[in-house]
Amino acid sequence: MSFLAPLYLLLGGAVAVPLLIHLMRRRIGARIEFPAARYLLRAEREHSRTLRIRNLLLMLLRVLALLAIAVAAARPVARWLGAGHAPTALAIVIDNSLSSSAVVNGRPLLDQYKAMARDVLSSATNADRLWLVTIDGHMRGGSPALLRDEVARLEAIDGAGDPTAALARAASAVRGAGLEARQIALVTDAQRTEWQRTPAIADAQLLIYSPSARPPVNHAVTLAEARPTRWTPRGAVAARFLSSDSTTYRMTINGRTFARGTAAPNEEVVVRAAPAERGWVPGTVEIEPDELASDNVRHFAVWIGPAPSVSSSPGAGSFLQSAIDVLRTSERIAQGHDINVVSADELASLPGLIMAPADPVHIGAANRALERAGVPWRFGTRRTGETSVSGPGFAGVNVTARYDLVAQAGAAAETLAVVGQTPWIVAGPRYVLVGSPLIPDATNFPVRASFVPWLGDVLSERLVGEPGQAIAAEPGATLARPRWADAIESADGQRTPLGESIDVPTRAGTYFLTRDARRVGALVVNPDPAESQLDRLSPSALAARLRAGRTLTARSANEWSALAFRAAARRSLVEPALLVALAMLAIEGVVIGTRARRTVA
Amino acid sequence: MESTRARRADLFDPASLAALGRIEIVARWIVDGFMSGLHRSPRKGFSVEFAEYRPYQAGDDLRYIDWKIAARSDRWVIRQYEEETNLRASVVLDVSRSMDWSGSSLPSFARGTGALERLTKLAYAERLAAAIALLLLRQRDAVGLVRFDDRIRSAIPPRMRHGQWRRIISALEESGSGRASSAPAALDQAARLINRRGLIVLISDLLMDMPEVERAMRGLRAVGHDVTVLHIIDPAERELPASGEALFVDPESELAVPASIADVRAAYKNTVDEVIGEWRSMFGGAGIGYEIVQTDEPFGVPLRRAFAARQLLP
Repeated sequence: MSFLAPLYLLLGGAVAVPLLIHLMRRRIGARIEFPAARYLLRAEREHSRTLRIRNLLLMLLRVLALLAIAVAAARPVARWLGAGHAPTALAIVIDNSLSSSAVVNGRPLLDQYKAMARDVLSSATNADRLWLVTIDGHMRGGSPALLRDEVARLEAIDGAGDPTAALARAASAVRGAGLEARQIALVTDAQRTEWQRTPAIADAQLLIYSPSARPPVNHAVTLAEARPTRWTPRGAVAARFLSSDSTTYRMTINGRTFARGTAAPNEEVVVRAAPAERGWVPGTVEIEPDELASDNVRHFAVWIGPAPSVSSSPGAGSFLQSAIDVLRTSERIAQGHDINVVSADELASLPGLIMAPADPVHIGAANRALERAGVPWRFGTRRTGETSVSGPGFAGVNVTARYDLVAQAGAAAETLAVVGQTPWIVAGPRYVLVGSPLIPDATNFPVRASFVPWLGDVLSERLVGEPGQAIAAEPGATLARPRWADAIESADGQRTPLGESIDVPTRAGTYFLTRDARRVGALVVNPDPAESQLDRLSPSALAARLRAGRTLTARSANEWSALAFRAAARRSLVEPALLVALAMLAIEGVVIGTRARRTVA
Repeated sequence: MESTRARRADLFDPASLAALGRIEIVARWIVDGFMSGLHRSPRKGFSVEFAEYRPYQAGDDLRYIDWKIAARSDRWVIRQYEEETNLRASVVLDVSRSMDWSGSSLPSFARGTGALERLTKLAYAERLAAAIALLLLRQRDAVGLVRFDDRIRSAIPPRMRHGQWRRIISALEESGSGRASSAPAALDQAARLINRRGLIVLISDLLMDMPEVERAMRGLRAVGHDVTVLHIIDPAERELPASGEALFVDPESELAVPASIADVRAAYKNTVDEVIGEWRSMFGGAGIGYEIVQTDEPFGVPLRRAFAARQLLP
């Protein structure tokens, strides 16, 4: 047995009071003149044995009562008996990921989790330290009443959340509580895709509950994507569905249905469209609702507008000219002078896709043209020899002849591709600069299949003067703020200024990014498609995956509630000590009452 | 009925009644009330019986002249009553220090809340003695008084004459309250004062040695005296009140007994009952009347107990 507040044991000194009263009672008290004192003396002589025993009993009862109160104040805990539980640092981790909104037995799983959490909180005492941690990263500590309110407000998010971070946060909280008994009580659906990583939980007992029933059969939209992101004004929407059989779907743009159909399992559906809307608009791909309704809708965003007009110079090369013709044919670009595709030595104005001149003789003229146009880059040393290019979309691209791109003062550009450590393609405001001529003698990029789409994106998205783009994110994630946006617009049209980062909303949907109150991009929030895979780990498999020092696995919700606060083998002896004190005082009352009744009789 | 009872002074609260006047006055009220009660009782006729007339002789008390006969026949005759002077009584009053005590003098923690003021045992006994004396004198019995503590304080021989009542009252008003009680000597003195068989009424708290009292009592009985003992007890002596711890000191012997009232209350009550039983047994064995008189009882109660049982009432 040990004491959490041993200083209170000093209260045990109070037992001296009844002892002194017992020992000194014959020397204290008033002097009373009483003629019948002889009868009193005779009574004491005749009943002295009974009186002594009774007084001794009363003294012992009072001493024991005081000792029990002192022991209770010192908050004893012991392994061998006790009621309630030792003061415990308990973090309740509730999996409120998208899958927790699945309806099982007529109600969402999360409702069951909340009821379980309330049960546990009702068993808490003021000596416990409590936290409520959710998968979406929120953590709140406080009294049972406060956390009960938090539980009542809890809702499922539309994403997977970060269970590893939640458990790590819970472990950190209970570790810092300064209590010997530490427990993390986790309630989750043990979704196989959710518990991929294995957080290490040291110094705390992990109590796990996961439903043993099979998860419901789920249908979901796992892909909804505008291709390309900028429609001029034609484009396509690609969709894929999670289903064991064919699924009927519906596609909308700006709330208007533009396509319906039936898709085979795991088939990618591509639907082309040329809607009348202009600018950034939201779109959805939807299927019939099922037990998990949150993943039956998937959002996308698309920019719709006229095709940019492009002119190309003869120095750009025949491959580039052919690619531009393909883009014109597909109406992604038009003939005109909005964007120039030129060799650097022929550069007259921006915006433009600028390439190094094919003839090294013109490199000086090219650098002078760059200077005149205000492009803060210069062509440096010419390099030859085959080297591979690194960068998104540049797989398999090699370069045999190139110029080093030398940044000038004030150059603020985005590097799109590198050769080794050297930039090969850089982009800045209204320009994209390539360190090689786009001809087969210098690089195989113009003959790669990825060339035309890349060129289309550069011309129709990067150089059109609209810097924005559609950013895909999962609910609750945190993103770096894009430079081209200064506010985010919610579905109801309310704009919130952006800070250094964006806290992605926990609700799925399309949120527009604005600059100077004008839509310049979109934040498309959709759950991780893996969250729609409801396959569960068995409780033992989940316990094995979560590397905790001590793990308890509850087979039922009631058992989970009952095992909470059992982190320590030791239990509180406060209540037993108080019961002993009360018992002693009750017996004392009975003894005194018996004497009083005899007296009255 | 209620109003009739309320006017009877013998049924008043002793302390309240004593506060209204001196011993003499109070005793008269008590006796008047007591006699009134008797006349209203079914026991009518227990008065001093008329016997005969006899001619008036010089020196006879003028109160006993039958004035109606004198008016009709011009003859003065005296009404003669049966046994009008047969009884010679002596009231033996304990005025020791233990008698000068009342439970009202206890500290509040021991007395308890709500306790009424009470006469000391001595004050109660003095008024009771005066009432007894007056009652007997009105029956034309000769009454005397002996007051004692550790010695004889005063002794008035039994007389029936005019002024005897005044002498008794004067003696009762003397200060007393010595230390100890010495009843045997007082009882011997009382017996000597009654030169023939008579009534001796001992009024005492009996806080004295039983063998000595028993020896003296048996002596009185041996010479034919009728003896009645009125054992005066304050209710606080019969049953310890309230609670508390204190050093209980006998004012006569300075015997000090520390005790917790709550602890010894039951045992004390048992002991007092045992003592009373012992006194009752001893007096009963000797043919002596014995009555417990608590100082919170109206004076009429002990008067009736003391005399009604012995057929001495008028």
